[in-house]
Amino acid sequence: MPVKIETKDLTVSFGDVDAIKNVSMEIFTNRVTAIIGPSGCGKSTLIKSFNRMNDLVSNVKITGQVLLDGENIYGTNYDVVTLRKKVGMIFQKPNPFPKSIYDNVAYGPRIHGIHKKEILDKIVEENLKKAALWHEVSDRLNSSAMDLSGGQQQRLCIARALAVEPEVILMDEPCSALDPIATAKIEGLIRTLSRDYTIVVVTHNMQQAARVSDYTAFLYLGKLIEYGLTKDVFENPQNDLTEKYLTGKFG
Amino acid sequence: MNRLLDTGLERLTAMLLQMGKVAEEAVRISIESFMTGVDVYERVEQLSDTLVRMNVDVEDKAFELIAKYQPVASDLRIIKSYIKISNDLERYGRYAWDISFIHKRLANFEKCEDPLAIIEEMGEKVISMVQVSIEALKTHNSELARKLIETENEVDALYFRHLDHSTEMPMSSRCLITNTLVVRYLERIADHATYIGESIIYIATGEKVVLR
Ligand SMILES: Nc1ncnc2c1ncn2[C@@H]1O[C@H](COP(=O)(O)OP(=O)(O)OP(=O)(O)O)[C@@H](O)[C@H]1O
Ligand SMILES: [Mg+2]
Repeated sequence: MPVKIETKDLTVSFGDVDAIKNVSMEIFTNRVTAIIGPSGCGKSTLIKSFNRMNDLVSNVKITGQVLLDGENIYGTNYDVVTLRKKVGMIFQKPNPFPKSIYDNVAYGPRIHGIHKKEILDKIVEENLKKAALWHEVSDRLNSSAMDLSGGQQQRLCIARALAVEPEVILMDEPCSALDPIATAKIEGLIRTLSRDYTIVVVTHNMQQAARVSDYTAFLYLGKLIEYGLTKDVFENPQNDLTEKYLTGKFG
Repeated sequence: MNRLLDTGLERLTAMLLQMGKVAEEAVRISIESFMTGVDVYERVEQLSDTLVRMNVDVEDKAFELIAKYQPVASDLRIIKSYIKISNDLERYGRYAWDISFIHKRLANFEKCEDPLAIIEEMGEKVISMVQVSIEALKTHNSELARKLIETENEVDALYFRHLDHSTEMPMSSRCLITNTLVVRYLERIADHATYIGESIIYIATGEKVVLR
Protein backbone atom coordinates (compact mmCIF):
# COMPACT_ATOMS: atom_id res chain seq x y z
CA MET A 1 0.00 0.00 0.00
CA PRO A 2 1.63 3.32 -1.08
CA VAL A 3 2.32 5.67 1.82
CA LYS A 4 1.60 9.39 1.39
CA ILE A 5 2.52 10.72 4.81
CA GLU A 6 4.65 9.09 7.45
CA THR A 7 5.33 10.40 10.93
CA LYS A 8 8.40 9.12 12.73
CA ASP A 9 8.50 9.47 16.49
CA LEU A 10 6.67 12.77 16.22
CA THR A 11 6.37 14.82 19.41
CA VAL A 12 4.70 18.23 19.50
CA SER A 13 4.83 20.28 22.68
CA PHE A 14 3.36 23.65 23.60
CA GLY A 15 5.49 24.96 26.46
CA ASP A 16 5.67 21.96 28.80
CA VAL A 17 2.48 20.32 27.48
CA ASP A 18 3.18 17.39 25.16
CA ALA A 19 0.18 17.48 22.84
CA ILE A 20 1.52 14.66 20.64
CA LYS A 21 3.83 12.02 22.08
CA ASN A 22 6.12 9.85 19.94
CA VAL A 23 3.58 9.15 17.25
CA SER A 24 4.76 6.96 14.36
CA MET A 25 2.19 6.19 11.71
CA GLU A 26 1.68 5.87 7.99
CA ILE A 27 -1.15 7.56 6.08
CA PHE A 28 -1.96 5.67 2.91
CA THR A 29 -2.35 7.20 -0.54
CA ASN A 30 -5.90 7.77 -1.78
CA ARG A 31 -7.42 6.40 1.39
CA VAL A 32 -9.51 8.15 4.01
CA THR A 33 -7.95 8.08 7.46
CA ALA A 34 -10.07 9.12 10.44
CA ILE A 35 -8.53 10.42 13.63
CA ILE A 36 -10.68 9.98 16.70
CA GLY A 37 -10.25 10.49 20.42
CA PRO A 38 -11.57 12.54 23.32
CA SER A 39 -11.35 16.32 23.40
CA GLY A 40 -7.83 17.57 23.97
CA CYS A 41 -6.15 14.28 23.00
CA GLY A 42 -4.18 16.00 20.22
CA LYS A 43 -6.19 15.33 17.07
CA SER A 44 -5.99 18.89 15.76
CA THR A 45 -2.34 19.14 16.72
CA LEU A 46 -1.54 15.94 14.83
CA ILE A 47 -3.42 16.90 11.69
CA LYS A 48 -1.88 20.40 11.73
CA SER A 49 1.58 18.89 11.92
CA PHE A 50 0.93 17.42 8.46
CA ASN A 51 1.09 20.86 6.86
CA ARG A 52 3.15 22.70 9.46
CA MET A 53 0.27 24.74 10.79
CA ASN A 54 1.63 24.33 14.33
CA ASP A 55 4.68 26.36 13.36
CA LEU A 56 2.60 29.49 13.77
CA VAL A 57 2.31 28.96 17.56
CA SER A 58 5.05 30.79 19.44
CA ASN A 59 6.02 28.27 22.13
CA VAL A 60 5.76 25.13 20.00
CA LYS A 61 8.51 22.51 19.91
CA ILE A 62 8.44 19.75 17.34
CA THR A 63 10.72 16.70 17.32
CA GLY A 64 10.72 13.65 15.09
CA GLN A 65 9.79 13.70 11.42
CA VAL A 66 6.84 14.05 9.10
CA LEU A 67 7.56 12.65 5.65
CA LEU A 68 5.42 13.65 2.70
CA ASP A 69 6.16 11.38 -0.27
CA GLY A 70 9.27 10.36 1.65
CA GLU A 71 10.60 13.88 2.24
CA ASN A 72 10.81 15.41 5.71
CA ILE A 73 8.58 18.50 5.65
CA TYR A 74 10.40 19.84 8.71
CA GLY A 75 13.74 19.54 6.91
CA THR A 76 15.63 22.81 6.51
CA ASN A 77 15.37 22.84 2.73
CA TYR A 78 11.71 21.99 2.52
CA ASP A 79 9.64 24.62 0.75
CA VAL A 80 6.58 25.50 2.84
CA VAL A 81 4.79 27.07 -0.13
CA THR A 82 4.92 23.77 -2.03
CA LEU A 83 3.81 22.00 1.13
CA ARG A 84 0.71 24.16 1.56
CA LYS A 85 -0.14 23.68 -2.10
CA LYS A 86 0.16 19.91 -1.81
CA VAL A 87 -1.69 19.68 1.50
CA GLY A 88 -4.98 21.55 1.78
CA MET A 89 -6.99 22.04 4.93
CA ILE A 90 -10.70 22.32 5.75
CA PHE A 91 -11.76 23.59 9.16
CA GLN A 92 -14.61 22.98 11.54
CA LYS A 93 -16.31 26.29 10.82
CA PRO A 94 -16.69 27.04 7.13
CA ASN A 95 -14.44 30.02 6.49
CA PRO A 96 -15.09 31.37 2.99
CA PHE A 97 -13.54 34.73 2.15
CA PRO A 98 -16.04 37.63 2.14
CA LYS A 99 -15.91 37.64 -1.64
CA SER A 100 -17.97 36.17 -4.45
CA ILE A 101 -18.34 32.44 -4.90
CA TYR A 102 -16.24 32.69 -8.04
CA ASP A 103 -13.45 34.65 -6.38
CA ASN A 104 -13.25 32.18 -3.51
CA VAL A 105 -12.48 29.31 -5.87
CA ALA A 106 -10.27 31.42 -8.14
CA TYR A 107 -8.28 32.76 -5.19
CA GLY A 108 -5.61 30.05 -5.01
CA PRO A 109 -5.05 29.72 -8.76
CA ARG A 110 -4.67 33.52 -9.04
CA ILE A 111 -2.03 33.49 -6.30
CA HIS A 112 -0.25 30.82 -8.28
CA GLY A 113 -0.22 33.14 -11.29
CA ILE A 114 -3.24 32.10 -13.33
CA HIS A 115 -5.14 35.16 -14.61
CA LYS A 116 -6.66 34.18 -17.97
CA LYS A 117 -10.42 34.37 -17.65
CA GLU A 118 -11.18 31.26 -19.75
CA ILE A 119 -8.80 29.18 -17.67
CA LEU A 120 -10.12 30.50 -14.37
CA ASP A 121 -13.71 29.94 -15.54
CA LYS A 122 -12.85 26.35 -16.24
CA ILE A 123 -11.07 25.86 -12.91
CA VAL A 124 -13.99 27.37 -11.01
CA GLU A 125 -16.58 25.20 -12.75
CA GLU A 126 -14.50 22.03 -12.47
CA ASN A 127 -13.83 22.39 -8.77
CA LEU A 128 -17.35 23.46 -7.86
CA LYS A 129 -18.44 20.29 -9.64
CA LYS A 130 -15.91 18.18 -7.74
CA ALA A 131 -17.22 19.67 -4.52
CA ALA A 132 -20.79 18.82 -5.57
CA LEU A 133 -21.82 22.48 -5.39
CA TRP A 134 -21.95 23.52 -9.04
CA HIS A 135 -25.62 22.77 -9.62
CA GLU A 136 -26.65 24.83 -6.61
CA VAL A 137 -24.61 27.95 -7.47
CA SER A 138 -23.90 27.98 -11.22
CA ASP A 139 -26.43 30.79 -11.80
CA ARG A 140 -25.05 33.07 -9.10
CA LEU A 141 -21.28 32.75 -9.16
CA ASN A 142 -20.86 36.46 -8.55
CA SER A 143 -23.00 36.68 -5.44
CA SER A 144 -21.35 36.69 -2.03
CA ALA A 145 -20.13 33.43 -0.55
CA MET A 146 -21.43 34.67 2.79
CA ASP A 147 -25.02 34.26 1.57
CA LEU A 148 -24.63 30.50 1.16
CA SER A 149 -25.89 28.07 3.79
CA GLY A 150 -23.35 26.56 6.19
CA GLY A 151 -23.24 23.29 4.28
CA GLN A 152 -22.80 25.11 0.97
CA GLN A 153 -20.07 27.29 2.47
CA GLN A 154 -18.23 24.17 3.61
CA ARG A 155 -18.42 22.66 0.12
CA LEU A 156 -17.21 25.99 -1.27
CA CYS A 157 -14.21 25.79 1.05
CA ILE A 158 -13.58 22.30 -0.29
CA ALA A 159 -13.81 23.61 -3.88
CA ARG A 160 -11.40 26.39 -2.93
CA ALA A 161 -8.97 23.87 -1.48
CA LEU A 162 -9.26 21.62 -4.54
CA ALA A 163 -8.62 24.50 -6.95
CA VAL A 164 -4.90 24.58 -6.11
CA GLU A 165 -4.65 20.88 -7.00
CA PRO A 166 -3.60 19.46 -3.65
CA GLU A 167 -2.70 15.82 -3.13
CA VAL A 168 -3.74 15.62 0.50
CA ILE A 169 -6.82 17.16 2.13
CA LEU A 170 -6.89 17.56 5.90
CA MET A 171 -10.27 18.09 7.50
CA ASP A 172 -10.70 19.04 11.15
CA GLU A 173 -14.27 18.21 12.20
CA PRO A 174 -15.64 19.36 8.83
CA CYS A 175 -19.25 18.57 9.68
CA SER A 176 -19.60 19.56 13.30
CA ALA A 177 -21.28 22.87 12.43
CA LEU A 178 -23.59 21.30 9.85
CA ASP A 179 -27.07 19.75 9.92
CA PRO A 180 -27.56 16.04 9.09
CA ILE A 181 -28.35 16.64 5.40
CA ALA A 182 -25.36 18.90 4.81
CA THR A 183 -23.30 16.38 6.78
CA ALA A 184 -24.42 13.51 4.56
CA LYS A 185 -23.38 15.52 1.49
CA ILE A 186 -19.90 16.17 2.87
CA GLU A 187 -19.56 12.53 3.84
CA GLY A 188 -20.50 11.44 0.32
CA LEU A 189 -18.04 13.96 -1.04
CA ILE A 190 -15.23 12.61 1.15
CA ARG A 191 -15.79 9.14 -0.28
CA THR A 192 -15.86 10.40 -3.87
CA LEU A 193 -12.76 12.56 -3.43
CA SER A 194 -10.80 9.68 -1.92
CA ARG A 195 -10.43 8.25 -5.43
CA ASP A 196 -8.06 11.10 -6.29
CA TYR A 197 -6.89 12.49 -2.96
CA THR A 198 -5.45 11.31 0.30
CA ILE A 199 -7.82 12.48 3.02
CA VAL A 200 -7.32 12.76 6.76
CA VAL A 201 -10.39 13.65 8.75
CA VAL A 202 -10.69 14.43 12.44
CA THR A 203 -14.13 13.71 13.82
CA HIS A 204 -15.92 13.41 17.14
CA ASN A 205 -18.65 11.42 15.48
CA MET A 206 -17.84 7.70 15.77
CA GLN A 207 -20.43 6.70 13.21
CA GLN A 208 -19.05 9.25 10.80
CA ALA A 209 -15.56 7.80 11.18
CA ALA A 210 -17.01 4.34 10.56
CA ARG A 211 -18.91 5.54 7.48
CA VAL A 212 -16.28 7.57 5.68
CA SER A 213 -12.89 6.16 6.57
CA ASP A 214 -10.78 3.22 5.45
CA TYR A 215 -8.38 3.51 8.39
CA THR A 216 -8.97 4.79 11.90
CA ALA A 217 -6.45 6.10 14.40
CA PHE A 218 -7.39 6.43 18.05
CA LEU A 219 -5.45 9.02 20.03
CA TYR A 220 -5.48 9.36 23.79
CA LEU A 221 -3.48 11.88 25.81
CA GLY A 222 -1.29 12.57 22.78
CA LYS A 223 -0.44 8.92 22.17
CA LEU A 224 -1.46 6.78 19.24
CA ILE A 225 -3.26 3.98 21.04
CA GLU A 226 -4.62 2.04 18.11
CA TYR A 227 -4.44 2.33 14.35
CA GLY A 228 -5.78 -0.02 11.72
CA LEU A 229 -8.48 -0.76 9.20
CA THR A 230 -11.66 0.99 10.29
CA LYS A 231 -13.57 -2.25 9.94
CA ASP A 232 -11.26 -4.00 12.40
CA VAL A 233 -10.99 -1.12 14.85
CA PHE A 234 -14.76 -0.80 15.09
CA GLU A 235 -15.53 -4.51 15.21
CA ASN A 236 -12.74 -5.81 17.35
CA PRO A 237 -10.50 -3.14 18.89
CA GLN A 238 -7.29 -4.60 20.25
CA ASN A 239 -6.76 -2.05 23.00
CA ASP A 240 -9.02 -1.80 26.01
CA LEU A 241 -8.94 2.02 25.89
CA THR A 242 -10.21 1.97 22.31
CA GLU A 243 -12.97 -0.42 23.27
CA LYS A 244 -14.02 1.84 26.14
CA TYR A 245 -13.93 4.98 24.03
CA LEU A 246 -15.89 3.48 21.14
CA THR A 247 -18.59 2.00 23.33
CA GLY A 248 -18.96 5.16 25.41
CA LYS A 249 -17.73 3.52 28.63
CA PHE A 250 -15.03 6.16 29.05
CA GLY A 251 -14.32 7.94 32.34
CA MET B 1 -21.74 4.49 34.14
CA ASN B 2 -25.00 3.23 32.74
CA ARG B 3 -25.49 3.82 29.04
CA LEU B 4 -28.91 3.83 27.39
CA LEU B 5 -27.75 0.83 25.38
CA ASP B 6 -27.09 -1.16 28.58
CA THR B 7 -30.76 -1.38 29.48
CA GLY B 8 -31.49 -2.80 26.04
CA LEU B 9 -28.58 -5.24 26.21
CA GLU B 10 -29.71 -6.48 29.61
CA ARG B 11 -33.19 -7.07 28.25
CA LEU B 12 -31.81 -8.90 25.21
CA THR B 13 -29.61 -11.10 27.42
CA ALA B 14 -32.55 -11.96 29.65
CA MET B 15 -34.62 -12.97 26.61
CA LEU B 16 -31.84 -15.19 25.32
CA LEU B 17 -31.26 -16.90 28.67
CA GLN B 18 -34.98 -17.56 28.95
CA MET B 19 -34.81 -19.17 25.51
CA GLY B 20 -31.88 -21.22 26.78
CA LYS B 21 -34.04 -22.61 29.61
CA VAL B 22 -36.87 -23.52 27.28
CA ALA B 23 -34.54 -25.08 24.71
CA GLU B 24 -32.69 -27.10 27.32
CA GLU B 25 -35.96 -28.54 28.61
CA ALA B 26 -37.16 -29.40 25.10
CA VAL B 27 -33.96 -31.24 24.22
CA ARG B 28 -33.70 -33.02 27.55
CA ILE B 29 -37.24 -34.34 27.76
CA SER B 30 -37.40 -35.34 24.11
CA ILE B 31 -34.26 -37.47 24.45
CA GLU B 32 -35.09 -38.88 27.89
CA SER B 33 -38.61 -39.74 26.86
CA PHE B 34 -37.41 -41.40 23.70
CA MET B 35 -35.27 -43.65 25.89
CA THR B 36 -38.06 -44.48 28.32
CA GLY B 37 -40.76 -44.74 25.67
CA VAL B 38 -42.93 -41.90 26.98
CA ASP B 39 -44.80 -39.70 24.52
CA VAL B 40 -43.96 -36.02 25.17
CA TYR B 41 -44.85 -34.83 21.70
CA GLU B 42 -47.34 -32.19 22.81
CA ARG B 43 -45.17 -30.70 25.51
CA VAL B 44 -42.17 -30.49 23.20
CA GLU B 45 -44.29 -28.97 20.46
CA GLN B 46 -45.36 -26.26 22.90
CA LEU B 47 -41.77 -25.56 23.87
CA SER B 48 -40.66 -25.49 20.26
CA ASP B 49 -43.43 -23.06 19.29
CA THR B 50 -42.42 -20.83 22.19
CA LEU B 51 -38.84 -20.80 20.92
CA VAL B 52 -39.99 -19.83 17.42
CA ARG B 53 -41.83 -16.83 18.85
CA MET B 54 -38.99 -15.86 21.15
CA ASN B 55 -36.52 -16.02 18.28
CA VAL B 56 -38.59 -13.42 16.42
CA ASP B 57 -38.70 -11.24 19.54
CA VAL B 58 -34.93 -11.43 20.00
CA GLU B 59 -34.35 -10.50 16.39
CA ASP B 60 -36.73 -7.53 16.66
CA LYS B 61 -35.08 -6.33 19.84
CA ALA B 62 -31.57 -6.76 18.40
CA PHE B 63 -32.38 -4.75 15.28
CA GLU B 64 -34.06 -2.08 17.38
CA LEU B 65 -30.84 -1.67 19.39
CA ILE B 66 -28.74 -1.53 16.23
CA ALA B 67 -31.01 1.12 14.70
CA LYS B 68 -31.18 3.22 17.85
CA TYR B 69 -27.65 3.07 19.17
CA GLN B 70 -25.42 2.03 16.26
CA PRO B 71 -23.34 -0.18 18.55
CA VAL B 72 -19.68 -0.94 17.83
CA ALA B 73 -16.88 -3.12 19.21
CA SER B 74 -17.97 -5.61 21.90
CA ASP B 75 -21.52 -4.23 21.90
CA LEU B 76 -21.82 -4.97 18.19
CA ARG B 77 -20.27 -8.41 18.54
CA ILE B 78 -22.71 -9.29 21.31
CA ILE B 79 -25.78 -8.19 19.38
CA LYS B 80 -24.65 -9.82 16.15
CA SER B 81 -23.92 -13.06 17.98
CA TYR B 82 -27.14 -13.05 19.98
CA ILE B 83 -29.12 -13.02 16.75
CA LYS B 84 -27.26 -16.13 15.64
CA ILE B 85 -27.44 -17.84 19.02
CA SER B 86 -31.15 -17.18 19.25
CA ASN B 87 -31.50 -18.99 15.95
CA ASP B 88 -29.42 -21.92 17.26
CA LEU B 89 -31.63 -22.15 20.35
CA GLU B 90 -34.68 -22.20 18.12
CA ARG B 91 -33.10 -25.09 16.19
CA TYR B 92 -32.56 -26.99 19.46
CA GLY B 93 -36.30 -26.80 19.94
CA ARG B 94 -37.07 -27.83 16.39
CA TYR B 95 -34.86 -30.94 16.51
CA ALA B 96 -36.26 -31.85 19.92
CA TRP B 97 -39.67 -31.63 18.31
CA ASP B 98 -38.48 -33.86 15.45
CA ILE B 99 -37.29 -36.48 17.93
CA SER B 100 -40.56 -36.52 19.83
CA PHE B 101 -42.47 -36.64 16.56
CA ILE B 102 -40.49 -39.62 15.30
CA HIS B 103 -41.04 -41.31 18.64
CA LYS B 104 -44.78 -40.80 18.43
CA ARG B 105 -45.03 -41.70 14.78
CA LEU B 106 -42.57 -44.54 14.22
CA ALA B 107 -41.01 -45.96 17.33
CA ASN B 108 -41.83 -49.56 18.17
CA PHE B 109 -39.15 -50.91 20.41
CA GLU B 110 -40.43 -54.40 21.08
CA LYS B 111 -39.33 -55.38 17.61
CA CYS B 112 -35.96 -53.65 17.65
CA GLU B 113 -32.78 -55.39 18.72
CA ASP B 114 -30.43 -53.35 20.85
CA PRO B 115 -31.55 -50.15 19.21
CA LEU B 116 -30.95 -47.75 22.02
CA ALA B 117 -27.37 -48.08 23.16
CA ILE B 118 -25.96 -45.62 20.67
CA ILE B 119 -28.83 -43.19 21.07
CA GLU B 120 -28.45 -43.30 24.83
CA GLU B 121 -24.77 -42.51 24.58
CA MET B 122 -25.28 -39.76 22.01
CA GLY B 123 -28.29 -38.40 23.86
CA GLU B 124 -26.33 -37.94 27.08
CA LYS B 125 -23.55 -36.18 25.29
CA VAL B 126 -25.93 -33.94 23.38
CA ILE B 127 -27.83 -32.94 26.53
CA SER B 128 -24.52 -32.06 28.16
CA MET B 129 -23.46 -30.02 25.12
CA VAL B 130 -26.69 -28.07 25.20
CA GLN B 131 -26.18 -27.37 28.89
CA VAL B 132 -22.57 -26.35 28.39
CA SER B 133 -23.48 -24.03 25.50
CA ILE B 134 -26.07 -22.27 27.65
CA GLU B 135 -23.74 -22.07 30.63
CA ALA B 136 -21.00 -20.55 28.45
CA LEU B 137 -23.53 -18.08 27.11
CA LYS B 138 -24.42 -16.87 30.62
CA THR B 139 -20.89 -15.71 31.34
CA HIS B 140 -19.48 -15.33 27.81
CA ASN B 141 -17.00 -18.01 28.82
CA SER B 142 -14.86 -18.78 25.78
CA GLU B 143 -12.82 -21.45 27.60
CA LEU B 144 -15.96 -23.42 28.32
CA ALA B 145 -17.16 -22.84 24.76
CA ARG B 146 -13.97 -24.35 23.38
CA LYS B 147 -14.63 -27.54 25.39
CA LEU B 148 -17.66 -28.21 23.20
CA ILE B 149 -15.39 -29.34 20.40
CA GLU B 150 -14.37 -32.55 22.27
CA THR B 151 -17.92 -33.71 22.80
CA GLU B 152 -18.82 -32.61 19.30
CA ASN B 153 -16.14 -34.93 17.91
CA GLU B 154 -17.41 -37.81 20.06
CA VAL B 155 -20.97 -37.24 18.86
CA ASP B 156 -19.80 -37.16 15.27
CA ALA B 157 -17.89 -40.40 15.76
CA LEU B 158 -21.00 -42.09 17.15
CA TYR B 159 -23.05 -40.71 14.28
CA PHE B 160 -20.74 -42.17 11.67
CA ARG B 161 -20.48 -45.43 13.58
CA HIS B 162 -24.23 -45.71 13.46
CA LEU B 163 -24.31 -45.01 9.74
CA ASP B 164 -21.65 -47.65 9.10
CA HIS B 165 -23.27 -50.27 11.28
CA SER B 166 -26.80 -49.62 10.18
CA THR B 167 -26.10 -50.85 6.67
CA GLU B 168 -25.30 -54.27 8.16
CA MET B 169 -27.89 -54.34 10.96
CA PRO B 170 -30.38 -57.19 10.70
CA MET B 171 -33.32 -55.22 11.96
CA SER B 172 -36.57 -54.11 10.46
CA SER B 173 -36.50 -51.00 8.35
CA ARG B 174 -38.83 -49.32 10.81
CA CYS B 175 -36.29 -49.51 13.62
CA LEU B 176 -33.54 -48.52 11.26
CA ILE B 177 -35.32 -45.44 10.00
CA THR B 178 -36.37 -44.39 13.50
CA ASN B 179 -32.89 -44.67 14.89
CA THR B 180 -31.20 -43.14 11.92
CA LEU B 181 -33.43 -40.11 12.03
CA VAL B 182 -32.99 -39.63 15.76
CA VAL B 183 -29.25 -40.05 15.49
CA ARG B 184 -29.24 -37.47 12.73
CA TYR B 185 -31.25 -34.97 14.83
CA LEU B 186 -28.91 -35.49 17.75
CA GLU B 187 -25.97 -34.82 15.49
CA ARG B 188 -27.62 -31.59 14.32
CA ILE B 189 -28.29 -30.44 17.90
CA ALA B 190 -24.63 -31.04 18.69
CA ASP B 191 -23.67 -28.92 15.68
CA HIS B 192 -25.81 -26.03 16.89
CA ALA B 193 -24.26 -26.31 20.35
CA THR B 194 -20.91 -25.91 18.61
CA TYR B 195 -22.16 -22.91 16.63
CA ILE B 196 -23.16 -21.30 19.93
CA GLY B 197 -19.66 -22.05 21.20
CA GLU B 198 -18.20 -20.28 18.17
CA SER B 199 -20.41 -17.25 18.75
CA ILE B 200 -19.34 -17.03 22.39
CA ILE B 201 -15.66 -17.14 21.44
CA TYR B 202 -16.37 -14.34 18.95
CA ILE B 203 -18.08 -12.23 21.62
CA ALA B 204 -15.32 -12.75 24.12
CA THR B 205 -12.28 -12.47 21.87
CA GLY B 206 -13.38 -11.15 18.48
CA GLU B 207 -11.86 -14.28 16.96
CA LYS B 208 -13.92 -15.94 14.22
CA VAL B 209 -13.29 -19.64 14.80
CA VAL B 210 -14.78 -22.74 13.25
CA LEU B 211 -14.92 -25.43 15.91
CA ARG B 212 -15.77 -28.19 13.46
N1 LIG C 1 -1.66 26.76 20.75
C1 LIG C 1 -1.62 26.04 21.86
N2 LIG C 1 -1.00 26.45 22.94
C2 LIG C 1 -0.92 25.71 24.07
N3 LIG C 1 -1.48 24.50 24.19
C3 LIG C 1 -2.14 24.01 23.14
C4 LIG C 1 -2.25 24.74 21.91
N4 LIG C 1 -2.97 23.99 21.04
C5 LIG C 1 -3.28 22.86 21.68
N5 LIG C 1 -2.79 22.85 22.93
C6 LIG C 1 -2.93 21.77 23.92
O1 LIG C 1 -2.56 20.55 23.29
C7 LIG C 1 -3.44 19.51 23.65
C8 LIG C 1 -4.09 18.93 22.41
O2 LIG C 1 -4.94 19.89 21.81
P1 LIG C 1 -5.69 19.66 20.44
O3 LIG C 1 -6.33 20.93 20.05
O4 LIG C 1 -4.77 19.03 19.47
O5 LIG C 1 -6.78 18.57 20.89
P2 LIG C 1 -8.01 17.96 20.06
O6 LIG C 1 -7.90 16.49 20.18
O7 LIG C 1 -8.06 18.54 18.70
O8 LIG C 1 -9.27 18.44 20.91
P3 LIG C 1 -10.76 18.82 20.43
O9 LIG C 1 -11.42 17.52 20.17
O10 LIG C 1 -11.35 19.50 21.61
O11 LIG C 1 -10.65 19.70 19.22
C9 LIG C 1 -4.41 20.11 24.64
O12 LIG C 1 -3.95 19.84 25.93
C10 LIG C 1 -4.37 21.58 24.34
O13 LIG C 1 -4.66 22.34 25.49
MG1 LIG D 1 -9.48 19.81 17.69
